[in-house]
Amino acid sequence: MNIDRIPSNGTSSLRSHVAPTHDSVRPSITPSCPPDSEPESGAFASTSMRVTKRSGRTEPVNLDKIVRAVGRCAAGLADVDAMRIATRTISGLYDGATTSELDRLSIQTAAAYIVEEPQYAKLAARLLATYIDKEVRGQEIQSFSQSIAAGQRLGLVAERLSEFVAANARKLNDAIDPKRDREFEYFGLRTVYDRYLLKHPETRLVIETPQQFFLRIACALSDTVSEAVELYDLFSSLAYLPSSPTLFNAGTRHEQLSSCFLLDSPDDHLETIYQRYADVAMLSKFSGGIGLAYHRVRSRGSLIESTNGHSNGIVPWLKTLDASVAAVNQGGKRKGACCVYLEPWHADIEEFLELRDNTGDEASRTHNLNLANWIPDLFMRRVELDGEWSLFDPKIVPQLPDLFGEAFEAAYVDAEDRGLAHKKVKARDLYARMMRTLAQTGNGWMTFKDKSNKACNQTALPGRVVHLSNLCTEILEVTSAGETAVCNLGSINLARHVKTDGGRAELDWDKLARTVRVAVRQLDQVIDLNYYAIPSARASNERWRPVGLGLMGLQDLFFQMRLPFDAPEARELSRRISEEVYFHALSTSVELAAQKGAHPAFAETRAARGELQFDAWGVVPADAPRWDALRRRVREQGLRNSLIVAIAPTATIASIAGCYECIEPQVSNLFKRETLSGDFLQVNRYLVAELKGLGLWNDAMRARLKLAEGSVQSLEELPADLRAVYRTAWEIPMRSLIDMAADRGAFIDQSQSLNLFIENPNIGQLSSMYFYAWKRGLKTTYYLRSRPATRIAKATVESPAPKPSEGDPRAAAGWTPAPGAAAEASPTATKDAAAVACSLENPETCEACQ
Amino acid sequence: MSAVTRPSRLLDPGMCLTLRPMAYPKFFEMYRAGIKNTWTVEEIDFSTDLGDLRNKMTAAERHLVQRLVAFFATGDSIVANNLVLNLYKHVNAPEARMYLSRQLYEEALHVQFYLTLLDTYVPDPEERFRAFAAVENIPSIKKKAEFCFRWIDAIGELDALDSCAKRRQFLLNLVCFAACIEGLFFFAAFAYVYFLRSRGLLHGLAGGTNWVFRDESAHMAFAFEVVATVRREEPDLFDASFEEDVARMMAEAIDCETAFAEDLLAGGIAGLSVRDVRRYLEVVADQRLATLGLAKRYGSKNPFPFMDLQDVQELANFFERRVSAYQVGVTGEVALDASF
Repeated sequence: MNIDRIPSNGTSSLRSHVAPTHDSVRPSITPSCPPDSEPESGAFASTSMRVTKRSGRTEPVNLDKIVRAVGRCAAGLADVDAMRIATRTISGLYDGATTSELDRLSIQTAAAYIVEEPQYAKLAARLLATYIDKEVRGQEIQSFSQSIAAGQRLGLVAERLSEFVAANARKLNDAIDPKRDREFEYFGLRTVYDRYLLKHPETRLVIETPQQFFLRIACALSDTVSEAVELYDLFSSLAYLPSSPTLFNAGTRHEQLSSCFLLDSPDDHLETIYQRYADVAMLSKFSGGIGLAYHRVRSRGSLIESTNGHSNGIVPWLKTLDASVAAVNQGGKRKGACCVYLEPWHADIEEFLELRDNTGDEASRTHNLNLANWIPDLFMRRVELDGEWSLFDPKIVPQLPDLFGEAFEAAYVDAEDRGLAHKKVKARDLYARMMRTLAQTGNGWMTFKDKSNKACNQTALPGRVVHLSNLCTEILEVTSAGETAVCNLGSINLARHVKTDGGRAELDWDKLARTVRVAVRQLDQVIDLNYYAIPSARASNERWRPVGLGLMGLQDLFFQMRLPFDAPEARELSRRISEEVYFHALSTSVELAAQKGAHPAFAETRAARGELQFDAWGVVPADAPRWDALRRRVREQGLRNSLIVAIAPTATIASIAGCYECIEPQVSNLFKRETLSGDFLQVNRYLVAELKGLGLWNDAMRARLKLAEGSVQSLEELPADLRAVYRTAWEIPMRSLIDMAADRGAFIDQSQSLNLFIENPNIGQLSSMYFYAWKRGLKTTYYLRSRPATRIAKATVESPAPKPSEGDPRAAAGWTPAPGAAAEASPTATKDAAAVACSLENPETCEACQ
Repeated sequence: MSAVTRPSRLLDPGMCLTLRPMAYPKFFEMYRAGIKNTWTVEEIDFSTDLGDLRNKMTAAERHLVQRLVAFFATGDSIVANNLVLNLYKHVNAPEARMYLSRQLYEEALHVQFYLTLLDTYVPDPEERFRAFAAVENIPSIKKKAEFCFRWIDAIGELDALDSCAKRRQFLLNLVCFAACIEGLFFFAAFAYVYFLRSRGLLHGLAGGTNWVFRDESAHMAFAFEVVATVRREEPDLFDASFEEDVARMMAEAIDCETAFAEDLLAGGIAGLSVRDVRRYLEVVADQRLATLGLAKRYGSKNPFPFMDLQDVQELANFFERRVSAYQVGVTGEVALDASF
């Protein structure tokens, strides 16, 4: 290929000649006037380029045609430039490419400009929607009922669903609203297209459009057409979405719709250990995430009576589990995932904490497992008092996993007094190791056994114990050898529950209440529809009927209201949202109990005694009479569900909905998501709107934002109150996140996936932070997020050149230059040098580097 | 007596061993930061790569990948050789040599990574041998290797940097490896990987390369810090002829890499044209020149918006990707009342 040398100064700003009108965009095509400075001029030179059509014939690339196709999708997007997308697309093309490659390239090209102008996310989404539509129609599928019929013929869709759709075809076909495609951002639609739409088993073409997909899920979860349409309306407006397993599997031949499974520890026998591998594999296969306790398995050095040998402890078993988890691939949709829970009195706890290290013996490393500590209060008190901590072999002290609160403490102290400890350590040494594991791997989550049990609706009777949480630390349910806890999840998108009153954005409480009611009914429905891969899961779910209704887009709500994440109003609003969700969720569950009966174990719950979640926190809700009335109805009617609220991390469904994850602050105003479908740039579109309003959104600003790793704190032009609103998770005090979580916790009968963020953690900081989380009564915490010590060099912006005038830091240490050396230090340079020297001697305490 | 006599300048010949007081704490900090970013090949998950190669990629894309990996497998070895034979010898400060030792380990790690990758990607032993012999039998890679060897050999005979001419020669070698080989050849290779990554292909390659990229960025930063230090200590070395030499070297590197692109992209890949690759190289070259304090020469605009992806924070969903943003070597004591 002939490479033309591009003149270095031939750039004039001739870009953007798409008339930015709101309802139609008419690109004016003037080939003599290239629209986007120099890079595009090359594209016009290569008019000889040809594309191969689906028929196999070739034709010259027609810029005009591409511009028109892009322009059609750009209606209403004032700030996108169709010409620019078209010319850039052609520039990346090779001679003989197919038209379908051209279509895909134009989508990717549009998506690549998202950082510059967030409206390109909408444009890319619309181009993709058109592409999907073509793909589906190309298979003679024109309507929803035809799509279901195709799925039925191909053996993908459940009989029950196809009959329901066939019987109501006209009404359901009419319910589809293609305009709802416009709700998507690119990343969301792309995720749906790549992984959620049903695919033809051989051709791998999708056989449904995104709207047909939403309606399919809605129908699968409904008994009547009106219920289905009501649900479809929530899904397609992205106001509420069920969890990924439900979206993956509803209406198919394998309706495994639950997200989470909690498996009790295997007993200390070879058979049950291997049975658990099989359980984990079966549950993983259909998209479940697994929590597995290991408290009961004997520790290293324990005597094995039958062979008179000594045990190697839990690590070899977990190594096998690691391999098993990696082998299960959830239908190519995502990988299996499992979290192992261990109580810190287990004698293998120290080896357990090293399982994720990236150095050391590979035979003792499990790179695919997640790890969590299941921590009794007694341990935290020993840390507080700087006391000793005893480690036990569960073979010798088997009773501890099934006890909590005072009974646990009595048994633990008794075992210590009887000299049964395998080893004693300083509580703080072990705590420091936990903190180090968190800092170095993000794993080893801190979850608190006693609060989790004392504030659980299912533990009213003795012997009922929560032994662990799940893969994402938001589910807390009792387990036993015969009961595997299950949970079905769904999350409300708060970003879509905002109304504007006199120019001020505020939460739409009525809409929130309505959404909660529809969502709880849907989640309850899942329990009866669900396919259970193992019998102990069915046994548990039918008795307790737990569901987990969560939230996402809290950060979007705050952005829309311009509230800093840690403002007192934000904290109060967040508390009230959780109170409202809990209230309406309980109310709906009472109504369901009246219609269909309470869950079979209701009489054994705390709710049957009139105790609700906030009672366990010592919190009195704002509107007490309303709650007292509800409490009476709960006792009279019972509840359909023993547990109702859980805040899941919503990683994937928040992407689909185009909102920030669950109750989390944004990590950056500019970041990429790494997913199985590829990497996607995300820019904070609320911030961009503010900057545009101030006339500040330009190339220079984008470069500064990138260099600042997506932080706006150095942007002096942005008013201070807005800088406070647009802080990132790294810039918000973690104390405020914990306080907010604790306030909310009084209305969450399960728990919340609470990530904590410290850019450059040290043990002192971490140990204080987790101690505070425990003190505030949190049941669980999730990942510790930190950041790499060095970064990749920026490729698209220039880093400032290193300053050549730094003084010689040796001067600070009394060093005198040898004769002839040119070492002169300016006063400021000496000061900087002192700071450097200080940080080298005393890196943890130097204020200059914090 | 508390004052220690150290060589007054970084490139003064000798084998300085004095770490206190420290002349160049920045190098020491770089060394420590490098250690915090330790990763291992075992952490990388190749499980979906083979499926992608077999089922999701065109013959043209497979060709691109195999050539790329072949280049990487030898490229890091070349860098390691130059480090031992030339840089370690002449950069005369123990803290800088600590950094170079760390870098040497990282180069070995990279070689191990690409070795594992080639073994995984190229199951046929004969084909594998050919891939490892890339420097000899693949002309486009051979050309790049020859460029590197020429600059290694150029100062192979230098025993001590005892004249301005020799110091300049050394600097050219350093600049060549930092700005042209790690800074341009590798950055081009990363662009191809990012292109694939932006389309969700080859997570093992992308994940490992991301870490390699992070390391290489640190290597470059170190080399440029050496250049900046020398410039501060001996500004006279940076005269017009030096600038001209660097520019010529850079132009030649761009030509080598463009020829490589023609080979890589011979099968036609939508979204990657040779013309765009060349523009991208020019953008990168300008950045290197600017970092060296020299005038830019090309004035091109970045044609690859997907490179934006590597400039921003990552947020991985652990269901889908292994999270890579952690540090090792975290220290401190338990405290219950520290601020957080």
